[in-house]
Amino acid sequence: MYRHFLLLLVALPCVMLTVGCQPTSVEKEAVRFAIAQAPLNLDPRYATDAASERVNRLIYQRLVEFDDHSKPVPGIASWKNLGDQNYQFTLKQNLAPFHDGQLLSADDVKATYESLQQLPDSPHAAEFANIRAIQIINHYTLEFKLKQVDPHFASKLIIGILPKSLIAQQHDFVHQPVGNGVFKFDSWNNTLTLERIDDGQQVTFIEVKDPTVRVLKLMRGEADLLQGDLPPELIQYMQTKPRIKVATTQGANYSYLGLNMQDPILAKHKVRQALAYAIDRQALIDAVMVDHTRLADAILPPEHYAGNPLLKAYTYQPALAKQLLEEAGVALPLKLVYKTSTDAQRVRLATILQAQMKAAGIALEIRSLDWGTFFAEVKKGKFQLYGLTWVGIKTPEIYSKVFGTTYIPPNGFNRGRYSDLALDEMLRQEDWQAVTARIHEQLPYIPLWYEGQAAAMRQHIVGYRPKADGNWDDLKTIKRAKGQLQ
Amino acid sequence: MKIFSLTVLGFWLLAVIAGRLLDLHGNDVDLNSVLANPSWQHWFGADDLGRDILARVLRGAEVSFIVAVVVAIVTMTIGVTVGLLAGFYGGKIDKILMQITDIFLAFPGILLAIAFAAVLGPGIINLMLALCLTGWVSYARLTRGQAMSLRQRQHVLAAESIGAKPLRIMLRHIFPLLSSILIVEATYSLASIMIAEASLSFLGLGIQAPNASWGAMLRDAVRYMLVAPHYVLIVGVSLMSLILAINLGGDYLRDKLDIASSINEK
Repeated sequence: MYRHFLLLLVALPCVMLTVGCQPTSVEKEAVRFAIAQAPLNLDPRYATDAASERVNRLIYQRLVEFDDHSKPVPGIASWKNLGDQNYQFTLKQNLAPFHDGQLLSADDVKATYESLQQLPDSPHAAEFANIRAIQIINHYTLEFKLKQVDPHFASKLIIGILPKSLIAQQHDFVHQPVGNGVFKFDSWNNTLTLERIDDGQQVTFIEVKDPTVRVLKLMRGEADLLQGDLPPELIQYMQTKPRIKVATTQGANYSYLGLNMQDPILAKHKVRQALAYAIDRQALIDAVMVDHTRLADAILPPEHYAGNPLLKAYTYQPALAKQLLEEAGVALPLKLVYKTSTDAQRVRLATILQAQMKAAGIALEIRSLDWGTFFAEVKKGKFQLYGLTWVGIKTPEIYSKVFGTTYIPPNGFNRGRYSDLALDEMLRQEDWQAVTARIHEQLPYIPLWYEGQAAAMRQHIVGYRPKADGNWDDLKTIKRAKGQLQ
Repeated sequence: MKIFSLTVLGFWLLAVIAGRLLDLHGNDVDLNSVLANPSWQHWFGADDLGRDILARVLRGAEVSFIVAVVVAIVTMTIGVTVGLLAGFYGGKIDKILMQITDIFLAFPGILLAIAFAAVLGPGIINLMLALCLTGWVSYARLTRGQAMSLRQRQHVLAAESIGAKPLRIMLRHIFPLLSSILIVEATYSLASIMIAEASLSFLGLGIQAPNASWGAMLRDAVRYMLVAPHYVLIVGVSLMSLILAINLGGDYLRDKLDIASSINEK
């Protein structure tokens, strides 16, 4: 009896050890992607949050895409201009069918954009109010006829195409998307799962709000991939871990300080210049920003076709800033209120700005408000200074919407109520070099930086790199290397 | 335990005084020392903005002391007044005051404080107002119960029969008998006020940047738990040991001041 027991005692751990050492292929397992904020809406006609837009890029295809210089290029269709108010689009041959098996045709494109125009609650509907009619020419070709001339019309056609028959049935695209993208929808209970059509590779999006918990999940193998919303210290920490790979790249999302141009003090040009000279952006980037973060001088980066590489950066000169404030005739220390959200990294940046500006004679008071209150106050113009980031901006039209006199909310994003007739004229002429130079000189925004993008992944994940605007397009090609479960 | 309690409380008071007397630079940002480990230059290390953690712990001690003491005094004053009036007069006054008390009691304290801070805006004054708004209720219930029983005592009836005014009876004949029980209650409430302050600051609704508070420091430290564990440990242990010391102090006072239990022990 004892001998049997002893045998069992010796054999059991050996069996367990052998089973444990079996090479377990991780090839077909889902890639678990831990993200800070889960997507809210998978209907591209409604989606506005970054996570939804990034997921929708995987599920749907668009007429137009952007190249590395943010110039619009053919997506699933090429186009030509048949006069100022008429654009003809021709769909490519052999497009992937919709996930429900139907073929994509010009009818689906027409149905998508017409349905968008008829949705009063869609945040994108206003963009397409200029469409007078959409005319089908044949199975592959259609024409957009406009009410008014719009040279940038093509770059607006970035809404994912939906199947006409499902639009007619008022299908719930919000929760059960059907497109013709590389990924099809699989399930969405607590976590969203997509499946790649080519090889059945699944990707699961897991929402983990806390950055430390996200990193711990990656290290413990409960997640395979993370991207964005990580403090630089955690990225550096992951770089030291043998089972984790970190990839960083230059970003294109523009961070800035918004100024209220109707404020009697901030309306003074010299005060705005003083603010620009009172911030040591480079020291701040070096100390607390992700690698590859670079100084910004305009909303669109220099590599953009409307970018301006000739702008001269404002450098940290507290003495000059103080002198400018004195010349402007304001009493020192100049008291200003800076509003920001309660996000820890935002408050951290605000505290550094406060310390740097102190040397220039500016007493910055920080008010960190919950996101809803903060954003509502910014939109209402109830601020002196605020800090935000423009995400995913591709077209130079943004300059009109942000600085044009006629674009004060709710008509646009001119939240600082800036009015400059000279700039309005430059905007009308679309002279982007002059526009960016004028804005850089007048400083309705104090430019900060384009934050670097970083992704961290387990060693067995290959073929994934973060993108400048933070999109997740590399999921289309991501692979799990053959190997053993760690 | 008594020694531990006294030592920690002594350190706390010393920190408050030191925070006042020393020329501390707890708000000085130094981007070259971000999350630096403890060293001769920074005994407790540096935080996520390169600020000296020791200086900030001392400053935070001062904030927690001011908030705890001010809120405890204000809530005790309001609560004891309401309780004495209700217990002494009884009848309609008691009914009305206790119904008001019950309404406040029905609110979850921290949630009301969060709502209050959200409406009035974050900041130390608003934080104290929010805590005062909910903190007086326990004093009122306690005082009212005791006052009702003391009201029937011989010495109170005697004072009343020789024409003493109600205010005099309340202050001279009832309140002194309540003081020991109120002191014990105050020590417990000190601990809960400090936790509430830390929680609200942790949520970003309390002390605003760049000023230090232990709750806000804990919130920041948690973010860097993996890269700078010393930060979260120092702040966490400071807060935990102080709350423990105050609670132990409360137990000690209760044992000393509660005549009934001290007689039983003998």
